Amino acid sequence: MSRVTRFIVPATMLTAVLALVLTLAPAFAGVADAKAATPASTDQPFLSQLSSFTTIQGAAAAMTKTAVIVSLLFVWIIVAVIVTLFAGREVRYSSVEVRASALYCFALGLVAFTSFVITAIVFSYLVPYIVGVPLLAALGVFAILTKVYGMISIFHAAGSIVAGSRTRSQLERRRWFRGDLAMVIVGLVVLGAIRLIPLVGTIIWSLASVFGIGTALATRFGRRDPAFLAWRPARA
Amino acid sequence: MKTPDCERYIEDPEANASHLAACAECRALFGAESNVPSPKIDLNALPLAPWEGAQHRPWPLVTGAALAIFAIAAALFAASGVSPADTLAANMPTLSRLQSLVLLMRQAPIVVVGVLFIVVNTVLIALLRRAPKGLDV
Repeated sequence: MSRVTRFIVPATMLTAVLALVLTLAPAFAGVADAKAATPASTDQPFLSQLSSFTTIQGAAAAMTKTAVIVSLLFVWIIVAVIVTLFAGREVRYSSVEVRASALYCFALGLVAFTSFVITAIVFSYLVPYIVGVPLLAALGVFAILTKVYGMISIFHAAGSIVAGSRTRSQLERRRWFRGDLAMVIVGLVVLGAIRLIPLVGTIIWSLASVFGIGTALATRFGRRDPAFLAWRPARA
Repeated sequence: MKTPDCERYIEDPEANASHLAACAECRALFGAESNVPSPKIDLNALPLAPWEGAQHRPWPLVTGAALAIFAIAAALFAASGVSPADTLAANMPTLSRLQSLVLLMRQAPIVVVGVLFIVVNTVLIALLRRAPKGLDV
């Protein structure tokens, strides 16, 4: 790791963690809830998620919320299977990258998240000049694609850590728990089960998203293309 | 190595195995009576590469997991007595939290936002310049 990176990584992690904490703070959730308030809203502040289990209505709302989360996991399975079938090698490469250099991916994910937010603010200033609308839309689509691809890579990484084969003989004995598809499914089920835990699940899922955004950008969506190549004239 | 035959034998020992019978020097170096231990590779001792077995597609596992999650979601909706379509429509993940952050930060002076934009994106580009770990997958 270069001297610059050694300075940049802790500094950016600190600032980006502050940005994340600000984003997850109840004040922001209050603004969000004022827009779409429902008893089982997944945007509830963390502490109210815990206290909702003390009443029957709260328990019913928690059950509905769990049903929503499980339904979204089903959507995640469909998307993850499609992406893994079409880009299995890329997903595997991103998964290897996040396991090989987790801190770098985390730092990159935090910085990228902060960059998305600040770039959205800058683009929002351009909305009156028309050009801001397509720019904001493009940024939104890129951010969502990054998150989806990154999360699938994280599913693969989690599945490989939990259920990956350690030896060749173990790999040959297995009928189901081998291959990219199986690792993605195992990781999704494990992270999905953790997601159902109040407070802890939300935090871990958010951290997985940060890791995912980081690994997606670090590996250029698994294509291993170099970024920002320095131009040098060819020598005779 | 004296002759072209010797060189050919070194390049491809199996195809030129008959050379050992004709050349005493090569026989002493590479023959059965030589003391050079033949390398034995235990494949199971080597680390498992990420691509090994990666193309395997366990459809029963995929289908089973998807159906199980679908069944759990349906059971939870049935138990709570709410309409799945309405509830899902009301609880779709949105960017509302990010939208709130953007609206709040727009209250900051535009100079501060501009400086933050340049600093954060410079750091992002600096981080992206690092090449990914070159693991063969």
